[in-house]
Amino acid sequence: MTEQLTLGAESIIFRLEQWGREFILKHRPPKPYLLKKIDDLLRLSRTSRECKMLTVARSLGVPTPSVLWIDRKQHTLVMDLIDGKQLKQLVGVVSEGELRELCEEFGRLIGLLHKGGVVHGDPTTSNVIVDKQSKLWLIDFGLAEMNATVEMKGVDIHLMRRAFETTHWDHEEIILESALVGYRRTMREEAEEVLSRASEIRTRGRYH
Amino acid sequence: MPLICLGLEGTAHSFGVGIVSSDGSILSNVWDMFSPPSGGIHPREASRHHSDVGPTVIRSALERAAISPQEIDLIAFSRGPGLGPCLRTTATIARTLSLRLSVPLVGVNHCIAHIEIGSLESAFQDPVTVYVSGGNTQIIAYAGKRYRTFGETLDIAVGNMLDTFGRAVGMRFPAGAEIERKAKEASSYHQLPYSVKGMDLSYSGMLTAARKLYSEGTPLSEICFSLQETAFGMLAEIAERAIAHTKKRELLLTGGVARNDRLTDILKGVAGRHDALFHRVSPSLAGDQGAMIAWTGVVQYGAGDTLKVSDSHVLPKWRTDEQDVVWREVDD
Repeated sequence: MTEQLTLGAESIIFRLEQWGREFILKHRPPKPYLLKKIDDLLRLSRTSRECKMLTVARSLGVPTPSVLWIDRKQHTLVMDLIDGKQLKQLVGVVSEGELRELCEEFGRLIGLLHKGGVVHGDPTTSNVIVDKQSKLWLIDFGLAEMNATVEMKGVDIHLMRRAFETTHWDHEEIILESALVGYRRTMREEAEEVLSRASEIRTRGRYH
Repeated sequence: MPLICLGLEGTAHSFGVGIVSSDGSILSNVWDMFSPPSGGIHPREASRHHSDVGPTVIRSALERAAISPQEIDLIAFSRGPGLGPCLRTTATIARTLSLRLSVPLVGVNHCIAHIEIGSLESAFQDPVTVYVSGGNTQIIAYAGKRYRTFGETLDIAVGNMLDTFGRAVGMRFPAGAEIERKAKEASSYHQLPYSVKGMDLSYSGMLTAARKLYSEGTPLSEICFSLQETAFGMLAEIAERAIAHTKKRELLLTGGVARNDRLTDILKGVAGRHDALFHRVSPSLAGDQGAMIAWTGVVQYGAGDTLKVSDSHVLPKWRTDEQDVVWREVDD
């Protein structure tokens, strides 16, 4: 049994029932409005990158769903379904104390990735699943990269801050503050260089 | 009786004057673009251009609207973001007019003006806006009393990238139209760095790679084709991320680069895939011009958002999300 869950920006997510268990099937369909060469290249590289980086992240201690199957020709992955809610959906629902704990943990997981030389590439609250035991899982690794430089980590933090601003403007301070507590605790002395780069990145790209 | 607002735009290379009535009709929209004989835009030269052409452009806007200065109820000006010297010259003209005619002054955010004029033309209620020009590349949407920048360039604007490449291969500024023409002559794609980070993107690597292709003798038309396909493909991706994220059902394309037909086609495709309506702002309202400032002035004035002359200093780094949008009534 297959059921479409969401139409994302670059993929369609299905829920799949097999052997009495539930899985996620993530398919990257063609986009006819793009040049085919670019579209094909992106769909292939994002699919294989996601498959690989989910495993790399797990080896760094970051909970991620396991990939069971990859079809590179069909640009499709099948992975474990994490039963829970997006962190995005919990903001404004849970208490301030719980929110702080969740965001600190989010910051810690991003810190673990960065410490291991990996950037997530799209660290928004939509890409964090909180399961029933309040354990956090990171998903959506199609833009993740290895051998990350300070610049790449700075961009990652900038994107995280941006997501807080645009999506959670009414809880922005609590979320940012506690995410950075978790991040600093994990990254230790490496944190400040990345954070100051992130602030610098924020001022680029516009008139000066 | 509708109000009549005269809006002054002068954030960068263009000085524009628009006269708009509060019922939404554009009575005139005149501008003069500073185009240096060679090289790029120098802020001081551009500001001198604005003070040189200012009076003529204002007079011609009044003539085309067939109104006298005494019929103006309101002066609006581009308060930022932009090049400091250009903003100051424009603000000085605006203050003078406001004091001379004894009418209120409204300070308008240039980026927000692009969205508001697009909303007027399209009748969109709550769009995701792709704002692309020589100075800006932003994906903006309304949320929680602000226009928020969901994505933007991490280095140079898409228009700047196209113009800089154009200049390197001997095209005149601005080079967008000629690059688009050249691109139509080719269909061979050369891979260029595709750099999307979350909902942000980066164009400087692509610019370097394109210049390298040119120095190696790759046909210019093929580079133009590859530049457009890559640069606009990246924009499509971040626009699509913003639509998927916000679940909004309108997509608005504005800014000078909105004149590009290929970009328009790609974004139409994006909108279609997400059952969103699409609108490209018409060419005369796409670039920097005074009508958008005048119209946004009308809207802000309606919400009581005016400025004392003594408080009317310019804001060169005014972020889109720093202004409380008091005039919109969209629920979150």
